[in-house]
Amino acid sequence: MVGTEHVDMLPVGAKEIWSAKVNGEDVEVLTTSNATLLDVLRDKVGTLGVKRGCDLGTCGCCTVMVDGQPQLSCLTFAGQVSQCEIITVEGLADGAHLAPIQNCFAKYGGSQCGFCTPGFLISAQSLLNTNTSPTDEEVKTAIEGNLCRCTGYQQIVESIQAAAAIHRGEVEAEAPASSPHPDPHPSGPEEPQMPPGHAR
Amino acid sequence: MSGGYKQQPGGGGNITRKDGKRVAGKQSFPPPGSGGSRPQMAERDLQFIPEMVGGREKQPAGAHVHDRIRTGTTVGKSMKLVDSNAKVTGQAWYGDDVRLPNECVAKILRSPHHYAKVISIDTSKVEALPGVLAVATGQDSTTSFGVLPVTKDEHAMAVDKVRHVGDLVACVAAVDEATALHALSLFEVEYEELEPVFDPKKGLEDADEPIHWRGKYHLAKTNVQKRVFQEFGDRSLIDKPSASNHNKWTMKGVHHGFTEPHAVVAHWDPNGRLQLYTPSQVPHYTHRALSTVLAVPMHQINVIRTFVGGGFGGKSDPFPHEMCAALLSRKCGRPVRITFDREEVYMINRGRHPSHIEVKMSADKEARITGFDIDALIDGGGFASFGHVTSYYNGVLATAPYELGSFHYTGARVWTNKPASGAMRGHGAVNTRCAVEVGLDQMAEDLSIDPIDLRLANLLPPHSRTISGFRITSNGMREALERVREGSDWDNKFRQLPLGKGIGIGCGFFISGSGLPIHWDPNKFPHATVHIQVDMDGGVTVHSGAADIGQGSTTAIAQVVAEVLALPIEMIHVRSHESDTSPVDLGSYSSRVTFMNANAAIRAAIEIRDKLLNAAWEMIGYHPDLLVLNDRRIYYKHDPSIGVSYLKALHKAQEDKGALISSGAYRSPPMGGIHKGAAAGLAPAYSFSAYVAETDVDIETGKIKCTNVWAAHDCGRALNPLAVKGQIIGSCHMGLGQVISEEMVYGRTGHLQNANLLEYKIPSVHEMPNVVPIIVESCDPEGPFGAKEAGEGPLLPILPAVVNSVYDAIGIRINDLPLTPDTVYFAIEKKMKAQSVDDPLELESPRLIHSAMQQVVVERAAQHKVRDVARQRSDDTSAYVNGVLFGFDPNIPLEDQVEGWRSATEPLPDQLAELGFAGKAWLKKEQRELEGDN
Ligand code: FES
Ligand code: FES
Repeated sequence: MVGTEHVDMLPVGAKEIWSAKVNGEDVEVLTTSNATLLDVLRDKVGTLGVKRGCDLGTCGCCTVMVDGQPQLSCLTFAGQVSQCEIITVEGLADGAHLAPIQNCFAKYGGSQCGFCTPGFLISAQSLLNTNTSPTDEEVKTAIEGNLCRCTGYQQIVESIQAAAAIHRGEVEAEAPASSPHPDPHPSGPEEPQMPPGHAR
Repeated sequence: MSGGYKQQPGGGGNITRKDGKRVAGKQSFPPPGSGGSRPQMAERDLQFIPEMVGGREKQPAGAHVHDRIRTGTTVGKSMKLVDSNAKVTGQAWYGDDVRLPNECVAKILRSPHHYAKVISIDTSKVEALPGVLAVATGQDSTTSFGVLPVTKDEHAMAVDKVRHVGDLVACVAAVDEATALHALSLFEVEYEELEPVFDPKKGLEDADEPIHWRGKYHLAKTNVQKRVFQEFGDRSLIDKPSASNHNKWTMKGVHHGFTEPHAVVAHWDPNGRLQLYTPSQVPHYTHRALSTVLAVPMHQINVIRTFVGGGFGGKSDPFPHEMCAALLSRKCGRPVRITFDREEVYMINRGRHPSHIEVKMSADKEARITGFDIDALIDGGGFASFGHVTSYYNGVLATAPYELGSFHYTGARVWTNKPASGAMRGHGAVNTRCAVEVGLDQMAEDLSIDPIDLRLANLLPPHSRTISGFRITSNGMREALERVREGSDWDNKFRQLPLGKGIGIGCGFFISGSGLPIHWDPNKFPHATVHIQVDMDGGVTVHSGAADIGQGSTTAIAQVVAEVLALPIEMIHVRSHESDTSPVDLGSYSSRVTFMNANAAIRAAIEIRDKLLNAAWEMIGYHPDLLVLNDRRIYYKHDPSIGVSYLKALHKAQEDKGALISSGAYRSPPMGGIHKGAAAGLAPAYSFSAYVAETDVDIETGKIKCTNVWAAHDCGRALNPLAVKGQIIGSCHMGLGQVISEEMVYGRTGHLQNANLLEYKIPSVHEMPNVVPIIVESCDPEGPFGAKEAGEGPLLPILPAVVNSVYDAIGIRINDLPLTPDTVYFAIEKKMKAQSVDDPLELESPRLIHSAMQQVVVERAAQHKVRDVARQRSDDTSAYVNGVLFGFDPNIPLEDQVEGWRSATEPLPDQLAELGFAGKAWLKKEQRELEGDN
């Protein structure tokens, strides 16, 4: 912060209890009336998957879903969305099973450094919730508020389209093996598949 | 139990075959966790095993030393990043996500002045504020540091002077952010303002108070941090050119624009060791700097690299705020977290240097390039950072891929009172490359030949030397050019598209790992070391210090280990976050990680592999040469039923010894010339690339839209094609930003005016063209499985390709980047005036009618193609140095054959008069020489 000599103590808002449904769970935290949703989610609720890239509404890293709509949490006062249903990146997976959009981002290169990924996932999922056959243009419009410096967006669009195909039921979702907790076969390859003629 | 061989019940009972050999039998119960998720052995993937060793993978570039250890497991297959699940679930922990018990928050007081002496700092009011836990100023550590040992000119906080707006003055830790912010306003600092310098050209002149003082090496009283002169070749060749051009470029500063702002958590633990969490590309340099600044031995510091939310060179310096956090934590005994806001990110900068670049070039009557004359004056801002190297790279990385008659370079980096420039993707090479490639386009036009053919007829072959002595090994430049030409349907579009539509070409050349380690003699320590440990469970733990910044280095390392040991990649666990556990690695810069770390990892893995094979030899009686590794099993080449599982071989190998441990290292071979600065730009391998861009120019508004890019990059071999394509497309995005919209805007008063992501315009998804990534595999003889870099080189060609396509569209060359609509429209208006046209739509776009020279270059290119294929496959191993094209004998030193062949690092007295901007630095003398004059 440059030139902060004249900044007085920031006005501290009144303490208040904030409650909402975050990722399906009722949460209730003590916060101040002027806290942003981003601050509350990161510092109080503990959903650190919501990222702060700019705090100014310019990067989209902080996007969360509020009642099904993507919203920049850094530009939202927590008080504006109390009692709402909020989904962060942590709420996308079904237990240990990744949502199709998550799997596809991993598989098609939609995520490199990954810092923008939570925001993109939310924007994309919000789109897919209402439109499972988006055109590329529709996908681009859905993510136009998200900045990615690594991927050049192309593989992100591909990832979203691949997830859309799963939502449409055209493509099988990944088997659980690609969930974060692959089912281990501790014994390793007991049954080598022999080329014909080698079986005894 | 389908179709398998019978195995005996009981723990590993062996069976005796008819021929008397002992064969491993089946166990009745599974041994603990050999991992992997498939119960059956996969078939050998012959598609990914080289032809030379019995597979079906084509090898147009010939055999490779690593062919024998290929198992077809991972190399060459598109894989998701091993840490991608952490990233898509929000569990990846970046700098600001590190939350430690009892932590506190710190903020930094920054200079409001461009240039001032700090007379005094009164902290008493700050300390009296309730909630403040610790305060630090420059006096808490006066030791200087910097990423390069030769230019340590940074401090934790200002010691005597502040050098740009935003320079660090003091810092304060408090119980919460609001208190820390308030505390900042209570510092009372007395400054004495000094006369600032903003224009790098002014920086060449003597100043009352130079921004830094280098003692007897200081250049007069100027603000020149580094000057470079290099001249090679036969200068007489440039006389009587058949075509020549001279262009002056202004390139603005650009920023990495990574999405994650800098953040650091320092924790001085109760045992007196510092634990420092930082999203750094170069944890080892940070480690070293912390040790000197804090005056504690390195072993008392543990640097923990968090996930890095994009680096691109912007997180490759040890930073003052990291020192601040450590100082504060030492004082208050609590973990201290500092997170930057976006403005602070721009204040620390380290982006691409604002540059003035001049390029003169000429060709002779056979369309051979007789000379490149480059002058680069680069604006370093307040600190040296990587600038010493940047000063060289602006010139030397233009010495290939073309064969040159002569090369002349003057460069200077100047300190100014702005945030420091540093290393950014394509370090130092990007701006000059753009100028050179656009110059070539112009030269082709003047000669009335096709610019692709001009290039094809002037390429250095594989296994050759550049004019400055760089050793070129694999070289896929020709193939890259041919493939983009074909892919883009170039021959039916170039100079044939209607007004407002254009197509252009650009090439690139970049180092794949810097041959010279920054901190030590190249022949003493390895550049990269990797440790592997395999315990009873069969899981493979790989310790590496390579910093994954999103490019996928962890994945690359896991892949090569999996490949050598023929294990599923899930069984490889790369530990690369902590300096306590990882061997020293220099970090992620100069595109060195894949080349150096993967090579080190291969060596370590081979050691483990040998132990496993020897154990299997003991167990089944076949010599390792006759054994095959495939998917968790080792078996006899001619009878897969005779074999042993990986885990059993492992346990055999572990008898008496316990866990298998190995260490592998990589050190680049001795290379290069002996002239001053010969090491700058030396690399064990180089990458090559060629792009064709198609652009629409709205001729009435000057807005340009790049629509298609065919992007061919020679990465040696794509270990992971998905990741390579991601790098190519991402590079296009970043380079395109520099062409169309990105610039750090400094106002008349020297203030940075757009320190935010709204006004610093990074292309959004709508500005992105459709990129067709084309992977060229030249299979580098020393690269890991043939691989070279793919992270930085792909950025270079996009700039000139777009600039050239704009010319093709509207017939106007603009030498100022970025090509914003106003810049372009201004140029269109100017041309309208010059041609007395009222309606811009009446302008003509350029057309090409081949001259007789076209035939000359096409024929020469065809001959060279034959030459290159033979050299690439090592069918032709004769010597080749730059100069052969001009008829010189590669076996005799050029100095001995050509009168006037120069290899100089200082100008001759009679050259001084004609030097460009940066060259003017050579008119000054160093202090030590001045002393001598008195
Ligand atoms: S942090 Fe909210 S848009 Fe950047
Ligand atoms: S993956 Fe790094 S910013 Fe998008």
